Amino acid sequence: MSSTTKSPANQEKQWNIIKNVFCLEGTFSLLEGGEGEEEMRQVLRLVQQVGAGQLVLDFALDAIWVTLRKVIVPKFWSHFIVYSKQKNDGDDESSEGSVEVMSRIATAVSELYDSAVSFIPQIHKCEMLVDQTGAVYEACVAGGLMEHFKLHLRASLHSQMPTSFTLLIHKFYTAAFKVFYHTQVGNQGEETDETSEEPIQCGGCDAATDACHCQAITNTFCQVNRQLLELDLLERLAGDVVSSLLLGVITDHVTTTCRDSYDQSRIKQLEKWVENIVVGWLEVVYCGGRGQLSSADPAIQTLVTNSLNQTYIAALYHTYTTTRIDQLFNIVIEYPESQPALEDIRDCLDRTHLRDRLVSSLRSAIQTRLLHPGVNTTDVLHAYISAIKALRVLDPKGVLLELVSEPVRQYLRGREDTVRYIVTSLTDESCSELCEELLVATPLVLDDCPTEDDPSDPWQTWTPDPVHAHTLKSKSQRTADIISMLVNIYGSKDVFITEYRTILADRILSQFNYNTEREVRYLEHLKVRFGETLPLLHKCEVMVKDVADSKRINSSINSDENPRREKQKFPVSCMILSAQFWPSFKEERLKLPEEVTRDLDTYTEAFQELKGNRTLNWKPHLGQVQVEVELKNRTLNLTVTPTQATIILHFEGRSKWSIEDLSSVTQVPKTVLRRKITYWQTQGVLQEVETDVFVLVEGEEAGEESGEATVAGISSPSLAPPAIEEDEAESVMASAQDQREEELQVFWSYIVGMLTNLDSLPLERIHAMLKMFVQGSVECSQQELRAFLDRKVRHHHLIFTNGLYKLPKN
Amino acid sequence: MKVRIKGWTGVATWRWVANDDSCGICRMPFDGCCSDCRLPGDDCPLVWGCCSHCFHIHCIMKWLQSQQLHQQCPMCRQEWKFKE
Repeated sequence: MSSTTKSPANQEKQWNIIKNVFCLEGTFSLLEGGEGEEEMRQVLRLVQQVGAGQLVLDFALDAIWVTLRKVIVPKFWSHFIVYSKQKNDGDDESSEGSVEVMSRIATAVSELYDSAVSFIPQIHKCEMLVDQTGAVYEACVAGGLMEHFKLHLRASLHSQMPTSFTLLIHKFYTAAFKVFYHTQVGNQGEETDETSEEPIQCGGCDAATDACHCQAITNTFCQVNRQLLELDLLERLAGDVVSSLLLGVITDHVTTTCRDSYDQSRIKQLEKWVENIVVGWLEVVYCGGRGQLSSADPAIQTLVTNSLNQTYIAALYHTYTTTRIDQLFNIVIEYPESQPALEDIRDCLDRTHLRDRLVSSLRSAIQTRLLHPGVNTTDVLHAYISAIKALRVLDPKGVLLELVSEPVRQYLRGREDTVRYIVTSLTDESCSELCEELLVATPLVLDDCPTEDDPSDPWQTWTPDPVHAHTLKSKSQRTADIISMLVNIYGSKDVFITEYRTILADRILSQFNYNTEREVRYLEHLKVRFGETLPLLHKCEVMVKDVADSKRINSSINSDENPRREKQKFPVSCMILSAQFWPSFKEERLKLPEEVTRDLDTYTEAFQELKGNRTLNWKPHLGQVQVEVELKNRTLNLTVTPTQATIILHFEGRSKWSIEDLSSVTQVPKTVLRRKITYWQTQGVLQEVETDVFVLVEGEEAGEESGEATVAGISSPSLAPPAIEEDEAESVMASAQDQREEELQVFWSYIVGMLTNLDSLPLERIHAMLKMFVQGSVECSQQELRAFLDRKVRHHHLIFTNGLYKLPKN
Repeated sequence: MKVRIKGWTGVATWRWVANDDSCGICRMPFDGCCSDCRLPGDDCPLVWGCCSHCFHIHCIMKWLQSQQLHQQCPMCRQEWKFKE
């Protein structure tokens, strides 16, 4: 070309060349890339000469954008718009199977890909233009004009995306994922699942096995992904779906894996599984099935590792922890079998923020499953003990335990038999759980005694309490041992030792076993745990010593040298108690038969002789009697209570007694008597012939038609002995309530004095004044005082009117 | 019917035969022990004076040791003599 380029005709011609080369009119269909290198260089020179670089570039790019927006993108979307219309008309989601969806998307994407590729020469030209003429374009993204083009493509696509597209793409990826997952699982489970019969359907594509098109799906899928990836569209269009599918399958897998088995650590195995699945799937998606991830683009590699760690592994922990938290109640109950699961949870809790959820979920589980009247105290306590142990594993600092177990403690406090159960199982060898705990030789840590910081605690390793620890308890109190925890339910040792004392008394007085070795041992353990100086434990010590002393006194009184033995009809031994140190006894009256009293008196004399200036007060209703009852056809050898012995001794002299008469002779109340007689009825010795009248059943002489004898004895059903066994385990000690009543009697004289002087007083005043006068001796709440006063009113010792108590006039 | 008692194990509480319930010195019950003792009965016996007052032996011994001039019964101020 010459330098005379200024003539209009020439200009016209030149402009046409430029227009054609850069397709300024948007007629890209003619593009064949026909211009050679040389020609292109000439055109560029021409543009430079006329100084229209910027102008041409603007026009050229604009033409591309318009074509994208107006032609290519609408064409791409039209595939799906048709679909969405179809769907709306047919209103049937399953009208199109995965195969159809697959092929539709594949067509659309490859079409898009082709048209996008066809722009590449054009973009290339524009790049040259930019290089040669220094024209500029608005560079929104780094990476040159090609990136700029992709950006525009993405923008145009998104601006026109139809709503049905997400649905479709979801379907597409789901189908592909299913195939992938099926093969993956199939590969892993091959060894184990061999026995299962040949499935009729292919698990991957839901088609019949012989018509399986998994491979087709995979192929199409890889192709689509490759094309989208090249256009930089994959992440934009499908990223969400890709990851949500993964998250879904992780959740499912974790839920099924963790169902109902807590005896294995799962987290490592799950981590490995997630890694396999995620890497495998992302490999398929991002590498288009063309090989390993390691050979892929480094950008994709980092993308995969990042998302693996940040999203999927985190999701795994989250899902795993929530699943386990929902099962936590069972896990706790099954401790120590569930130790591995607990360790898993502990590790996961550090990586997730689910502590609060754990606390609230476990608390509500405990509330609904444990703390209701249908559960035995034993079970509640066992659960509490397991919880203490299990939550220790989760959180050695004891903060979780503190938070979770508060309602349990409160509940146990409300149950009457808690203390008794705890104490029983402490001293019962068969319940090893607590028994072993007792042997731990460390003093109890109680809430009410503030503990000093242990100076030997190494300060270098000190760590602050977690933020959840909003309670005021010190660390040592939170990490106290199990017995301390149990004692802390009540917050005082006295309740326990009082209960222990009652149980000990019961045991001594029901077994009459002079062997105190075991009790001494437990007492030593208790002393270590509860502190030597506790006055109540001292009392227990005296009680045990009483038993040992009694043994000695008995053997000396009953020794052969003792002349009194001749006088006695039967051997008497005695449990000699130091009344001051024993809990108070249930007072029951019983007048023993003459002969028994005589022999007991002989024993008393012997005792007085042995221990000068001391004498014995018998508790006639307590003890144990060996009797031999000789009937006509049989002889019974029994061990009975004194009351029972007294009854049968009376029947020896007279074979028919009414309750009334028997009661006046023995001074035992009628109700008690009736209860005791049952024992002889079950033995078949006594029979109730009419209401409250009992006769002796001797039975026939041996050998004389014994068959008839039984018929005569138990023939009429109305006279059959009631099969009510007496409750042998009945406590001989006064119940805790009775003891308390006795304590409250201390107040009575004060109250009488008050009311004499001040005529009438309301409950509050009485309570306040008692607090002032009877400081510290006995604690008494207002409710308790009210109950006490109300009982007095019922017995007519008080009058209650208008909210005021006063003494009755007499 | 014949009933034969083969053995009788009874329960009784022991007490001191004294004219009072508690020791006039330590105010503890006689059947308990003085404030220095841990075990009642043989380990902490009672003693009677000629004046017929009685105390825990440990209590009265302590009292007598603290008296400089006259050994008197803390209850009646008579001269203290152990009753034989």
